[in-house]
Amino acid sequence: MDDLLADFVAETREMLEASGGEIVAWEADPSDRARLDTIFRFVHTVKGNCGFFDFPRLEKLSHAAEDALADCRAGRREADSTLVSAVLAIIDRISEMIDSIEAGEDHPEGGDDALIAALNPHPDVPGMPSAEPHKSSETTQVTAASPAEGKADAAPKAARGASVQRTIRLPTELLDEVMKGVSDMVLARNDLARRLRDAGDHPQIDGPFDRLSTILAEVRSSITRMRMQRLEHLFSSLPRLVRDLSTELGKQVMVDFEGGEVELDREMIEMVRDPLTHIIRNAIDHGLEGPGERIKSGKHEIGLLKFAARQSGNQITLAISDDGRGIDADRLAAKAVAAGIYSQAEIDEMSDRRKHHLIFEPGLTTAEKVSSVSGRGVGMDVVRANIEHVGGSIDVTTKSGEGTSFHLKLPLTLSIIAALTVGSGGQRYAIPRSYVEEIVFGSSDHVDFAEAGDRRLVTFRGKRVPCLALGEILGSEDPGSIDWATMTLVLVRMASNDVFALAVDRVYDHEDVVVKPIAPAIMETGLYAGTTLLDDGRPMMLLDLPSIAQKYRLIDEMRSMARTLPEEEQTEQRKARPVMLFTGLDGRRRAVRLELVRRIDTISREAIDIEGSRKQAVIDGAIFSLLGLEYGELPEGRCRLLRLSDGEHEVVYAVSEVLDAADMDGEIVPSSADPAVEGVTLIDGEPVPVIDGHGLFAAQDTARKTGRTASCRLPANSDWARTILEPLVEAAGYRVSTEAEEETDVAIELVDDDLRPASPARHVIRLRPEPEPAENDDESIYRYDREALLSALKRARVEKTA
Amino acid sequence: MNDLLLMCLIAGRRAAIPAARVQSVIEIDQITPIPGAPDFILGLTAMRSQALTVIDCQIALGFGGQEPDSDRRAAVVQVGGHSYALLVEEAYDVGEARSEPIEVPGGFGRGWQMAARGMVETDCGPTLLIDVDVLVAGPVARAA
Repeated sequence: MDDLLADFVAETREMLEASGGEIVAWEADPSDRARLDTIFRFVHTVKGNCGFFDFPRLEKLSHAAEDALADCRAGRREADSTLVSAVLAIIDRISEMIDSIEAGEDHPEGGDDALIAALNPHPDVPGMPSAEPHKSSETTQVTAASPAEGKADAAPKAARGASVQRTIRLPTELLDEVMKGVSDMVLARNDLARRLRDAGDHPQIDGPFDRLSTILAEVRSSITRMRMQRLEHLFSSLPRLVRDLSTELGKQVMVDFEGGEVELDREMIEMVRDPLTHIIRNAIDHGLEGPGERIKSGKHEIGLLKFAARQSGNQITLAISDDGRGIDADRLAAKAVAAGIYSQAEIDEMSDRRKHHLIFEPGLTTAEKVSSVSGRGVGMDVVRANIEHVGGSIDVTTKSGEGTSFHLKLPLTLSIIAALTVGSGGQRYAIPRSYVEEIVFGSSDHVDFAEAGDRRLVTFRGKRVPCLALGEILGSEDPGSIDWATMTLVLVRMASNDVFALAVDRVYDHEDVVVKPIAPAIMETGLYAGTTLLDDGRPMMLLDLPSIAQKYRLIDEMRSMARTLPEEEQTEQRKARPVMLFTGLDGRRRAVRLELVRRIDTISREAIDIEGSRKQAVIDGAIFSLLGLEYGELPEGRCRLLRLSDGEHEVVYAVSEVLDAADMDGEIVPSSADPAVEGVTLIDGEPVPVIDGHGLFAAQDTARKTGRTASCRLPANSDWARTILEPLVEAAGYRVSTEAEEETDVAIELVDDDLRPASPARHVIRLRPEPEPAENDDESIYRYDREALLSALKRARVEKTA
Repeated sequence: MNDLLLMCLIAGRRAAIPAARVQSVIEIDQITPIPGAPDFILGLTAMRSQALTVIDCQIALGFGGQEPDSDRRAAVVQVGGHSYALLVEEAYDVGEARSEPIEVPGGFGRGWQMAARGMVETDCGPTLLIDVDVLVAGPVARAA
């Protein structure tokens, strides 16, 4: 919350600074409409932000000023010099209060009412609260003196505030410059590395060179971090805002976030924070219906507000969707006519879509009544102005009774994106990884190709999706001559949830790439979103998937809204766990939990080194422990490896073939016969052993952690605890003890263990044999609920170190 | 008028690019093609950590393509914040303009007329002064 408060203070200050000139200009000419709008926006924004925090006095002041200014905007009142000075007095008071907030002090009480009363067209006529006559007379002085006084007051406070701050502000150009310098350095290093390799072994040079590489990598990542921030940072502040607003308005709202990992320029995040707040306000106030109305129209009583962010090339798209009543185009149009913005004749010529865009006109709203939250028709025009100011765009799609979505497109001048590099026609191309859902080999048994007219379809796991070859899109290959079975299919999911398959010659690697803009003439092709440099310095094009999908008409904008809900319900009902199916070296089918699989590697047999019980594989210059050899011999030539990761350590697991990904929706029947197997599950009616990822990592020498290892006591007399629980607990970083006397950090006990030993432990975790908890039992954990158990263990360890 | 010019050969004709616009002259060895891009854009090439859009001046002027040559030189220019490599047949030296660019009755012929700012006198004789901005826009943009 402190962060947010600091943001609020900084933002309000910036606005105060920026509007300083406007205020002076307005004073000179109170009838200047443009100045009036600017000042109106300022107080409106302050009011909005106050609702977010608990600053009733600020809110009251800004609301009053907003009211008076709204009257002027609507022509109900003439802006005269009395009003100007009253508004200016309020703005000065806001500035003082902001100083107090930053310094963590209370602003001296009183005076607010007089300031508000001064806004009244006839200040000396009754209308002022009569309860505090003495106070108001005293504070009228404050009004008159406040500009000068405020300044004198604010200066020392600001100085104090500055000494607390431990951050500095830098122009982003400087960061860009440094970033570019580091990118150049990386390329120079790669060049040097190539030359060193060609020149053979130079032990004297290699050491320092490696050190240089490490430092360079660190510097590069810190510089990147300087500029980037995850969108999560912005998202994390929204649930609270939504909660407060919905409580205030008597509505129930559920929020859903997607794409919090998308990174955005820090500056850009600050730019969208405010517009986003406005959109949320509008959505909750006007978009979503009350619970009663929702039930009547057959919707779930809880409204849904969904935020989805995607990165596409050098653009971020942020969609804010609600499932409310939608925008009433006709009513909006009627208001536009009433407000004199458009004539009826102009409205009659408009399409519905055009009418919906009226929402961005200044001074227009669909709200029947003005609430304290929004209304009065400000908001969307301000939102659009702000978004366009940063070079973005905003669009709205709505369907009556089904909901509204706002699509924000934000530019990204310099960005690093996670990309998948693919090959086509001997060239490499990059695809933003956020779109990639899955990669499948065309040769796989589960993939069928079909044709419907000229559209090629691929059937994969029961779904038929359109399939395009990259070579065909780029015009370098004739679709008729493509041997589909040799292609690799990249399943792409667009922001609208439409899926299509992109057939490429091969998939190379995951890479973080720096995207640079491309020349307009290349942009016009609609195929590319940017360019990036490969490690060897060669340029590579970044594909613009949204525009390609649009070109081939693979996106259906409206359908996506309707489909989001049922899908979410499905996931709630069915807790399917994704697994990857493969055949081991003995040719038998096995499965591994998909979360463990980081990637699939194919390496030559020479890169594998086996000596006695030491088995290792070398991939990209790193050594990995090699597992899975107990089932058979490695093939000569090329070996397929699954690279498994527990988040900290990586091992590779030899397989003979990677089959498919599948959902494991049934239960896992544990098996203690084979320690390498977690249990057996049914996939498509056939039993498949699931390898025990925790067992694999536990067997590795991973205990090289510093500090004292936390200890955990397991029930001494249980085979289950020894075979199943022990490896899991060890994998979680605990030393296992079965000594009844030893005082351990954690003890795990079984609920059905009647003889509960009273031996000492700081934390006790109790496991029950049934999935459902017994009555009066709300803390035990089902013994195969791995996630719950691991998180309990993790919690215990964190508490221990804290 | 003592403007410096980069003297070069485009489509067999003597041409000049204002030296103030030219950041450097590079030799191009590798070009990454961009499928789907207009003909006059040969692809991208890298100069340090910068990607340059390679433009074949001959095609951009509306003539046929150049024979791929092992030793191709290009002038690096910036237009609208983007960097381009203008591929020329030959790049000679930097020379001085001896006159203002002037029009010639009857024009300079198809292609040249659009992309030339006029004719200037130089020590090597009359030379066409290339308008970089027009050249970069390509023949497609000019037709539109």
